[in-house]
Amino acid sequence: MTTPIRLMATSGILGYGFTEEAFNQGLAMKPDLIACDGGSSDPGPYYLGSGSAFVSRAAVKRDLGLMVAGGMAHGIPVMIGSAGGGGSDAQVDWTLDILREICAEKGLKPKVRVIRTEQTKDAIKAKVRAGKVAPLGPIDDLTEADVEDCSRIVAMMGPEAYQQALADGADVVIAGRGTDAALYAALPLMKGADPGLAWHVAKIIECGAQVVEPREGQDCVIGTIYDDHFTIEPGHPDRRSTVTRVSAHTLYENPEPYRLKEPDGTLVTDKCGFEQLDERTVKVWGSRYEPSDKYTVKLEGAKPLGYRTVFIAGVRDPILIGIMDDFIETCRGRIARDVGVLGIKPEDYTLSVHQYGKNAVMGPLEPEADAPIHELGLLLDVLGRTEDISRAVLAKARYAFLHTDFPGRMCISGNLAVPFSPSDMHVGPVYEFNIWHVMECDDPMEPVRMEWLDL
Amino acid sequence: MAKLRDIARVVRGKNAGALYLTLDVMFEDDETYRKVRDCGAINPRAIAPLYGVTDNEVAIIPFDMAKAIKITVPRRVRSGSAGDTDVYGAQQHVPLMNLEVPVS
Repeated sequence: MTTPIRLMATSGILGYGFTEEAFNQGLAMKPDLIACDGGSSDPGPYYLGSGSAFVSRAAVKRDLGLMVAGGMAHGIPVMIGSAGGGGSDAQVDWTLDILREICAEKGLKPKVRVIRTEQTKDAIKAKVRAGKVAPLGPIDDLTEADVEDCSRIVAMMGPEAYQQALADGADVVIAGRGTDAALYAALPLMKGADPGLAWHVAKIIECGAQVVEPREGQDCVIGTIYDDHFTIEPGHPDRRSTVTRVSAHTLYENPEPYRLKEPDGTLVTDKCGFEQLDERTVKVWGSRYEPSDKYTVKLEGAKPLGYRTVFIAGVRDPILIGIMDDFIETCRGRIARDVGVLGIKPEDYTLSVHQYGKNAVMGPLEPEADAPIHELGLLLDVLGRTEDISRAVLAKARYAFLHTDFPGRMCISGNLAVPFSPSDMHVGPVYEFNIWHVMECDDPMEPVRMEWLDL
Repeated sequence: MAKLRDIARVVRGKNAGALYLTLDVMFEDDETYRKVRDCGAINPRAIAPLYGVTDNEVAIIPFDMAKAIKITVPRRVRSGSAGDTDVYGAQQHVPLMNLEVPVS
């Protein structure tokens, strides 16, 4: 490799946005790839479980529209990883639907490669039986029953399918779940870049403008790989990348900063050097990649837990605030009786009462548990086996909290300040991550399916 | 003695995946960073009770390049599961802010 390879990450997450100024400046630098990762497990298990996005359709359409039009105009491939957030088939299809609309409106006809990484239950059960699945942290060994419980299971693929798509001549690649860095490492690796540099530059730019100052929201970041180093700079002409931000980036959301696991190896950054090349560009060198002898992909899966209904109210009465813990217990007893007559049993629901203002965020770990308060935010949270049970329990709970007596009660017409009508919020299905494991693969393409999109 | 909140530039927490919480303490200047790193006050026995975990579940990794100390502990409740109160793990840094270290 003698020609530098330039990668443009448009944003930390597709739909979080970027400025057109930064994007156009990035395009003028003639990148070899325009890409954006769509994924995160941070918003929790609901999005994978339900197969829905945590960004808006309008925001994805705007970001993807600019990327595809820019890529097509300049002959630069555009790749989206972990489409729709969780990278399940439903979320990939949602993204493809937006892409179709963009192409129709702009009169574009890109060659589109679709990569799917949602797994069938049968395939994962077979891997469980073969002893090829292990926990990724403090979670139980995976069982076939856990797999059966799951709504959706995705595998976090490495760079190989992206490389296949690029080799196939795709203009646009829409992919299911993959590691954030694989999206960006794929192209430089296939062009023969140093693996340590390729994975490290990918890891730094995948969060977009996290490495850019001033912090004014998401934006484009450019990584350029040379023979023995790479550089990081913002797309936006008025912003800058700094050694502090770039060097600190491997801390973010990683359990350890020096070793970052990928499917076929580990990026090691403990011997890295960082230098401020000019006001807005950082030079990095010394990253290493240690290949592993097994190819492993992370599996993520979410199972349904039930249906949630919530209710928020304020409490200002000082007498009630003073005895709130006892009052909650009194209400719990009354609610159990009131829903019992409806045929709802204790095992059909859980009622959680969060007292915002009084240790709701940290619970038993709260260091200032006894600080005085004059106002409480009550959040009643019912998780029911069915939607009907969830609604029924919440409705009884609301009434109980509003109108149950307590010792010394003066506010006998109502205990709560209810901010809204309607007061009960039906959140819908609730999920839990029940697969958070690694799976051994015989071949990097084993967990992957590819297709062409017919536009 | 000083509380970390008075001598650090950043004290932050965030999920590292759904099963771990990772906390970063970052310093403005190298001298303060090295004093805190070397004084031994940030150790598993001091951190474990703040986060309701056992000593051997606490990982502490100094990161000289960023003048930062990283602390990773298992989450009490899996992110977003029933009983979780902080899906992103972004507001669990407060006990660490208040940790006292023998540095002025």
